[in-house]
Amino acid sequence: MSSPTPAIEIQNLKYAYGRAEAVNDLSLSVQRGRCYGLFGRNGAGKTTTMKCLLNLLRPQGGQVRVFGLDPAKHEVEVKRRLAYVPDQVAFYPWMTVRETLDYLASFRDRWSAKTEQSLLERFRLNPAQKTAGLSKGQRTQVALIAAVCPETELLVLDEPTSGLDPIVRREFIETVIGAYQEGDPGNRTILVSTHLIAEFEGLIDEFTIVDGGQSVLTLHADEARDRYQKIRARFPHTPPEIDLSHALRVKKTGRELELIVNGGGPELLERIERQNPESLTTESLTLEEIFVATLQA
Amino acid sequence: MLLQINYKSGKPVYLQVVDQIKAAAAAGALKPGEALPCIRPLAEELRVNRNTIAKAYSELESIGVIETLPGKGCFLKENHSPLRKEIRRKMLIEEIDQAIVQAHHLQVPRDEFLQLVQKRLEVLEERRRSHENLKVEKREG
Repeated sequence: MSSPTPAIEIQNLKYAYGRAEAVNDLSLSVQRGRCYGLFGRNGAGKTTTMKCLLNLLRPQGGQVRVFGLDPAKHEVEVKRRLAYVPDQVAFYPWMTVRETLDYLASFRDRWSAKTEQSLLERFRLNPAQKTAGLSKGQRTQVALIAAVCPETELLVLDEPTSGLDPIVRREFIETVIGAYQEGDPGNRTILVSTHLIAEFEGLIDEFTIVDGGQSVLTLHADEARDRYQKIRARFPHTPPEIDLSHALRVKKTGRELELIVNGGGPELLERIERQNPESLTTESLTLEEIFVATLQA
Repeated sequence: MLLQINYKSGKPVYLQVVDQIKAAAAAGALKPGEALPCIRPLAEELRVNRNTIAKAYSELESIGVIETLPGKGCFLKENHSPLRKEIRRKMLIEEIDQAIVQAHHLQVPRDEFLQLVQKRLEVLEERRRSHENLKVEKREG
C-alpha cells in the first residue's frame, strides 16, 4: 500500500539571517487531514520554517515540499491550495471588512459565502467597519475568515492566538478549526505554530517541538501523553535509594519524590512501590508540560 | 449526557469519548433511540479536534453501540452487539484480567475485590433506576 503524498514534507531545512541561524537541519512531515502543531519559544524558527513553505524565503539547505511540490518552482499551484495567516496581519486601512473580504476572495477559485456569514456573525464583526478601526483581535478574526472561506486543502497558521484576549482565543480555536474541517473532514490539513500550547491541547494530532532551529521532539499527542508521566511518591521517612536514572527529572523535597518520566513509567512505578511508599500517584503530562519538560531537560 | 476530557489520564482522547458514552448508555443516562450530540458542536464544546469525535463515533458504531442514520445523525442502538457471544465474553475477560492485575498491585485481596464488583454493579443498577424514575416522573408531571 503506497501512502499518499504528505501535505508537507520538510527535509534538513536550513536558513540563516546573515550569521544568525534560524533553522538548522529541521525535518518533519505532515500527513493529510492532520492538525499538526509546531511548538517552540519565540525565536525557535517556527515563522522562518513557515515562510519557506510559502516561498517567502528560499531554503539555504535541505528542501521543502507542499503536496509534493517545490514552492519555489510551483508557487502559484502551492498558494492556490493553501491559506496562510501570518503572525502580523495587515489590511488596507481604507477598506471596510466587507471590501477586504471581497478583495481577498477575488484571488480565490472558491469562497464559501455560508462560512463567511456564519463566522462574521459568531465573531460579531460589522462588515461596514473600516479595517483601520479594528482591534488586533478583530483583525486576526478577519484574517482567519479570509483563510477558512477559500476551503483550501491546507491551512497554515502562524501564532494565530498570540496577542488576543482569552475569550477571543477560546472562541477562535473552537470556531475556526471546526468551520475549516467541516467541509471535508478527512482531508483538511492544519499546520499551526504556537507557544500557547494549552489552548490547542485537544486539537493537535501530532506535533514537533523546535528549539534553536532544530526539531527536539516529534510525537502523536495521545502517544506523548501516554509516555510522559509525572509520578509522585511520599514515604514515611526520607525516600530510599531507588535507581531513577531513567527519569527525565527528579525532585526530592523532604519525604516526597516527584519524577517526570518519558516512557518506562510502569517499570519505575513498580520499583518505587517495592519501597512501600505512603502514597503513590501518577498522571500524564499535558502537552504544555511536555513542552516545558523537554526544553528544560 | 456530560462528557469531560481529562488530558492527565493518559488515555487517548477518542477512547475517553468512547468509554464515557458507553458508560452513559450502561447507566441509562442515554437511552436506546436517543440522539447523540452532532460531531461538530460536540467537538467545539469539548475543544477537541472534530476528527477525534468522528473517530470515537465510528468506533462506537463498529462495536454496535450507536448507529448513524444518514442526514439525521447518530443514535444509541438497542443493546444488540453484532459480535458473537464467545467474542463478547473474551473481550470482557480481557478487561476483567486487567482489573485483577490492578487489584493485585493495589493490594486488594480476592474477597474484597469480589465485594467491590458486587457493589459497583449495584451502583450502576441504582443509577439506571434513578434515570428510569426521572423518566416516569417527567411523563407523569
